[in-house]
Amino acid sequence: MSDTETTPLPPDRTLRTGPGRLLVAVYAVFALAATARGAYQLVTRFEEAPLAYALSVFAGVVYLVAAIGLARAGRTSRKVALVSVSVEMVGVLVVGALSEFTSGIFPEDTVWSHFGSGYLFIPLVLPVLGLWWILKVHRADRAHSRE
Amino acid sequence: MVDWLTMLIQMVSLAMAVWCLVSTFRDQPMLVPHLVGMGVLWLLVLGQVGAMVFAMVGGDRPDDLAMVVSYLATVALLPPASAVWGFMERSKWGPAVIAFTCLILPVLLVRIEQLWSPVV
Repeated sequence: MSDTETTPLPPDRTLRTGPGRLLVAVYAVFALAATARGAYQLVTRFEEAPLAYALSVFAGVVYLVAAIGLARAGRTSRKVALVSVSVEMVGVLVVGALSEFTSGIFPEDTVWSHFGSGYLFIPLVLPVLGLWWILKVHRADRAHSRE
Repeated sequence: MVDWLTMLIQMVSLAMAVWCLVSTFRDQPMLVPHLVGMGVLWLLVLGQVGAMVFAMVGGDRPDDLAMVVSYLATVALLPPASAVWGFMERSKWGPAVIAFTCLILPVLLVRIEQLWSPVV
């Protein structure tokens, strides 16, 4: 990426259009679901499972950052989206594996427990689709700016 | 909670989801009929939310009041927010947004029902 890439993107190639439109909607819903649920549980039942509830809030914040990064669709926003979606990918894999093979670390379920099985495995599929879309837009953008 | 209204909302919502999925696969953008459908769905949802707020003001409070109120706010805002977001997209991905929200709306209503009258 160099500074010469100042050409404005054609509207069909920005992050928030096309499949990105749906991704932003799904991310927004997950941000709301995870943050609200985690925050509520942290406030009312903190002592039961502070780690699990804090993790829910963290996941919610990651979804929120990803949703905003995808929706704003600038060059910096794309990096923000890329990082947050990657964090999400690592998070769902690590937490999913931990909850599957060990017990006791996360006594209460979070969005990422058991690879998101409580949420139809959407948390597992979502980062893959997110990364695919961000890289696709990135490539199109690079090809476009070379012209 | 008005039970028949919940049923009706869930059926209308699923019908909207199917319709929008068909539009997506036929490569159509969101059109005015889709918006009218979302408007009807929104009115039904607002009716249900209104009835529940009325009941809560009248003293019929669920145990998890904060949770129910936040779910009610979510279902009240979801149809217009997704309709606007989907209508801004002039491709087949517009109806895809509506299909997604119309699929989760019935789930949210089931959650509200569980919170409203928990089965002990």
